[in-house]
Amino acid sequence: MTAIAGVFQRHRMLPSYLIVLVLLAILVVTGGALSDRFLTWRNFGNLFQQMVVLGVASLGQTFVILIGGIDLAIGALVGAVTVFLANFLQWQPDWIVPAIAIALVGSTAIGALNGILTVTLRVHPLIVTLGTSSVIFGATLMYRKEPGGSVPAVFEELAYGDIAGIPYTALALVVIFALAGLWLQRTRSGRSLYFVGGSHEAARLNGVAVSRVTILVYALSGLCAGIAAIFLVARTGVGDPRIGQTLTLQSITPVVVGGTILIGGRGGVLGTFLGVLLVSMLNSMLNFSGVSSFYQWVVQGVIIIAAVGLHKTRRE
Amino acid sequence: MTLAEKPARARVSHYSLAALSERFGLGLFLILLLVVAAIASPTFLVPANLLNLLTLAAPLGMVVLGQTFVILVRGLDLSVASLMATVAVLATAFRATSDSVIPLIFVAAIVLSAVVGFVNGWLVTKRGVSPFLATLAMMIILQGARFAYTGGAPISTLPPGMAWLANGRVLGLPINLWTLAVMAAFLGFLLHRMRLGREIYMVGANPRAARLNGLSPDAVTILCYVICSVCAGIGGLFLLGYVGTVSNWVGQGYELDSIVAAVMGGVALSGGRGSVFGALMGVAVLIVINNLVILLGFPVEAQFIIKGVIIVGAAAFYRTRLI
Repeated sequence: MTAIAGVFQRHRMLPSYLIVLVLLAILVVTGGALSDRFLTWRNFGNLFQQMVVLGVASLGQTFVILIGGIDLAIGALVGAVTVFLANFLQWQPDWIVPAIAIALVGSTAIGALNGILTVTLRVHPLIVTLGTSSVIFGATLMYRKEPGGSVPAVFEELAYGDIAGIPYTALALVVIFALAGLWLQRTRSGRSLYFVGGSHEAARLNGVAVSRVTILVYALSGLCAGIAAIFLVARTGVGDPRIGQTLTLQSITPVVVGGTILIGGRGGVLGTFLGVLLVSMLNSMLNFSGVSSFYQWVVQGVIIIAAVGLHKTRRE
Repeated sequence: MTLAEKPARARVSHYSLAALSERFGLGLFLILLLVVAAIASPTFLVPANLLNLLTLAAPLGMVVLGQTFVILVRGLDLSVASLMATVAVLATAFRATSDSVIPLIFVAAIVLSAVVGFVNGWLVTKRGVSPFLATLAMMIILQGARFAYTGGAPISTLPPGMAWLANGRVLGLPINLWTLAVMAAFLGFLLHRMRLGREIYMVGANPRAARLNGLSPDAVTILCYVICSVCAGIGGLFLLGYVGTVSNWVGQGYELDSIVAAVMGGVALSGGRGSVFGALMGVAVLIVINNLVILLGFPVEAQFIIKGVIIVGAAAFYRTRLI
């Protein structure tokens, strides 16, 4: 591993993308060899249904990690939004558009609140979002302890429908990531994330409104959590306060696997996209090969350590 | 008191409001909570209820002791809860019905915990993985291994003596409370009276300066992770004795609670500041708050909300920064 990293270092390549691509290729080949059904269009459709939730949540996490922060409230927020949507739509099945609008505005506002708390209290985001996550989770549980509610069949189309054979979920994932990539690379506000992540002080001296960028980034993370929840509720059909519990941690894996380093300032959405693809395909392949789903956790933990250990080697 | 604390103390007068509130604020807060609890419910101050609370607090206290050591060297251990459950599952692996294996269970638990702690510490120091991610990954790995072993179902083949660990009394006090007291006395002595303790504060306050002073920050840090995991492992066995059956999620929430208690007790997340006594005070406050939520007639879920507000508030109060 070290030797390979050294080669990349000397040639100033982007090892994280390449490593992930190589791993993806290995996965596709072994997956195809293990099962005839692995490389089918139907399996890719299923894959996208699962990927869109993790993908959009991880996208939000990418923004936050880029500025050197972390958002541990994503899972609790996703759970809260699914509970809201399933309950609201059970009560008013026709109000799909207003329900989605309220959900997105609400999740963005909660995300912004994380940013505001981080900036004003000057407490590390790990603590702030751990705290707000606990509050959101408690409030959701007080409202509804068990999974419940329902969504109209039209809403479920979001998860299962397609245009000309291309699933909505795949379209949404690609469009959202493309927009996010364009924003990060091509606009002033997007690029300012890298400044803030590189050094708060240097960014401030260069005229970047660090506080404003921080609040914006956490708001975006909240918005992403809201979008992820919409796709999740479309797939499962119920609101579940606990459904996001593992999502917070899962949302970090693709980001670090994709090469966005935790101290901020380096990385991007393409890496996260590849990371999401890798994690989802790996889980799908483990399912196909009949490995107990419990080992998927072990594999995920090992991936995190390997990815982070490798990136550290590169930096030194 | 320690080398690491001197510069911070020098800036603030001992008698300024900030210094006083930082020193005695938590104690006053605890007294206030006790008064409110006593008013809210006449049964609160009954010795039986207090003893019950202390029995409940003991396993958490053990985990917090360990968490304190890790936070002192600028770390964080998110794997403690998962380790507690894994140790509990390990205890069932003996499939024992007699108490003679209990010492063996303890030895196995401590060995496993020490290995976990060593790996965490090694990843953090030698591989440069952030404590957050290293212990997070460890948490997921332990979880996967545990579920793979149990298949997800709870088990209850335990020696009967395990229950005695939680409910047995010596001189009128629960065994687990005595154990916590012994652990706290030992670790407190180690931290506040021994050379190693001073080294831990130095490494936490400034690793580079510690290295220049001839210390080995990596070795000290790894040792703190080992202490943390061993404390969590022992805490897991006592918690198991308290709840009686092994679920795969025994101890869930202790990672958050242990960090909340330590931070509330004045252990700075930026490393190098805090004490064993403060951390235990934090445990007392947290347990009383949880009890108070029930006494005041709020639903149990309100504990999450209150805990969340407290963790942010306490961190802001102490102005802690995490590396």
